[in-house]
Amino acid sequence: MSAPRRHGFLRANALSLGFGVLFLVTLVGQALSGVSDFNSQQIAEGLEPVSLLAYVTSSSFAVDVMENWQSEYLQFLLYIVATVWLIQRGSAESKEPGEEGTESDEQQKVGRHAEEESPTWARTGDWRTALYSRSLGLLMGALFLLTWGASAVAGWAAFNSEQLGQRQDPVSFVGYFGEADFWNRSFQNWQSEMLAVGSMAIFSVYLRQRGSPESKPVGAAHADTGETG
Amino acid sequence: MNGVRAIFVAYLVVIAIGIAYALLLGVTGR
Repeated sequence: MSAPRRHGFLRANALSLGFGVLFLVTLVGQALSGVSDFNSQQIAEGLEPVSLLAYVTSSSFAVDVMENWQSEYLQFLLYIVATVWLIQRGSAESKEPGEEGTESDEQQKVGRHAEEESPTWARTGDWRTALYSRSLGLLMGALFLLTWGASAVAGWAAFNSEQLGQRQDPVSFVGYFGEADFWNRSFQNWQSEMLAVGSMAIFSVYLRQRGSPESKPVGAAHADTGETG
Repeated sequence: MNGVRAIFVAYLVVIAIGIAYALLLGVTGR
């Protein structure tokens, strides 16, 4: 690949590549700060500190990662599906009042309204179009369930190793769903996502970020809904 | 679009590895 094309590729994909790199950097940050925090608790409880390798291969690290992932995918699932049906007058994140719902086939360019460059599954007009029409929400929903499930499994193992460290009885996997630990981990992440989504919806009515597609144009009226600039 | 598709797949792979890794650590009780 030649140099100019390479530059073109990086620039054309800067958002996903940039956040991919930031994800890896912050994950390393979590591992380093996590082992430090874990070891101060170990020492406070009179237990042996663990190595970084032991920490990143522990369910304690896994549950901390998964409990955050699950809430992010829940957030996107809810946002994607809720914005089909719910509007916020004046918000950059909302459709116009009156446009609630899944819209017409013509607006959505499906079936016989598909265009030359439309994806094949948008064109067929059968179950494939029905499935493809929901594929973003379905993926986010599936990832939410999978990451939430993984946070439950890893959380259960981490909870039991803490129980054993404190010479208390371990709980069964089903029993873990009755533990406050599981629900506290879930709710503490969910509440922040709900607040963030609501904040984004309402703040973009009155505030602007010049050049951002998440914002209306700076000069757009507060009452304008769904415009991006 | 091949490069874009590669990034799309890479994200899915990273997420799948994360989930599988957490499940593995959980079920083995590490």
